[in-house]
Amino acid sequence: MKKSNIYFLLGIGIVLMIFIVFIYGIYFASNPRDIPSSQIGKKAFEIHTVTFDGQPITLRQYLGKPIILNFWASWCATCWKEAHILEAAHQEYTPQGAVFIGIAINDEREASLRFIKKYNKTYILAPDDKTGNISLDYGVTAVPETFLIDKKGVIQNKILGAIHDDIIDQFLSKELKL
Amino acid sequence: MMTSFKSCLVIFSSLLLFSINFLYAQSESEIENRVRTLANQLRCPTCQSQSVKDSDAGLSLNMKIKIRDLIQKGQSDAEVLDYFVKRYGEWILRSPPKSGFNLLLWIMPGIIMLIATLVLLRSLKQKSRTVDAIGKPSLSKAEDLEISRRFNNVFKNK
Repeated sequence: MKKSNIYFLLGIGIVLMIFIVFIYGIYFASNPRDIPSSQIGKKAFEIHTVTFDGQPITLRQYLGKPIILNFWASWCATCWKEAHILEAAHQEYTPQGAVFIGIAINDEREASLRFIKKYNKTYILAPDDKTGNISLDYGVTAVPETFLIDKKGVIQNKILGAIHDDIIDQFLSKELKL
Repeated sequence: MMTSFKSCLVIFSSLLLFSINFLYAQSESEIENRVRTLANQLRCPTCQSQSVKDSDAGLSLNMKIKIRDLIQKGQSDAEVLDYFVKRYGEWILRSPPKSGFNLLLWIMPGIIMLIATLVLLRSLKQKSRTVDAIGKPSLSKAEDLEISRRFNNVFKNK
């Protein structure tokens, strides 16, 4: 092959590569699900809210206990799927020292209460405030999203989408040394 | 005397009210402009390839409220953006910051484009040179004329 043809093909190749990277960046590399949370390994933000049954809660009061912090909404179909998983895990692990907290975001209070009743959710459940400060603090991108916080109050993992019981089992077995 | 005093008071109060209203509206529109500009610099966390400004997703609406809230608390544009970067990471910014490793992201496309253009230009120039070499007449004008004359003679003789 002639030298000029090699240069020509090289130029075309570079331009094509830039174009592909550009298209990939715009349409395929911006899915929040593909981006790891920047909060993993960092101290969990403090929470100040009042539960649906009127109890004020903060994370500080649970320091020394592993926390499963779940963000949900009554309008989210995936939250229906994981509702029984979280409730079952709560029934199993709360007596052993774990804490389960559910924060409803962008939801009507009445709808949240109906959801809680429908799925017999009995762990700590509270709404986010009107500005959604709690979900913003945790960098929530969609519901459901679950944060696994260790006994020192450090975020160990974030699960986007429905949580599976084996993830909870693995985390709490380690934290509670079962 | 009393009537003119009352008229003055009414005019003064109206002007004062108008000024307060005007100043309030101006500061409100300034805040609104800043909210729009900052929301345009942030990526919607729920959707793909959309800014917070253009998105109506619940989280984006919350972010717009938060931006307004932070501005009203007196935070600068950089501080507002930093608030979201701390929580979501640099990914939340639609344009990567022009510092550190990110600077490379800003410079590299330009450098690559420049190299690619130079390579293309060079190859095109070489191609045109090749065409010139082939297209260049190998005979002199006199030789050309001689050939034409001989051809003409051949046809004439026929």
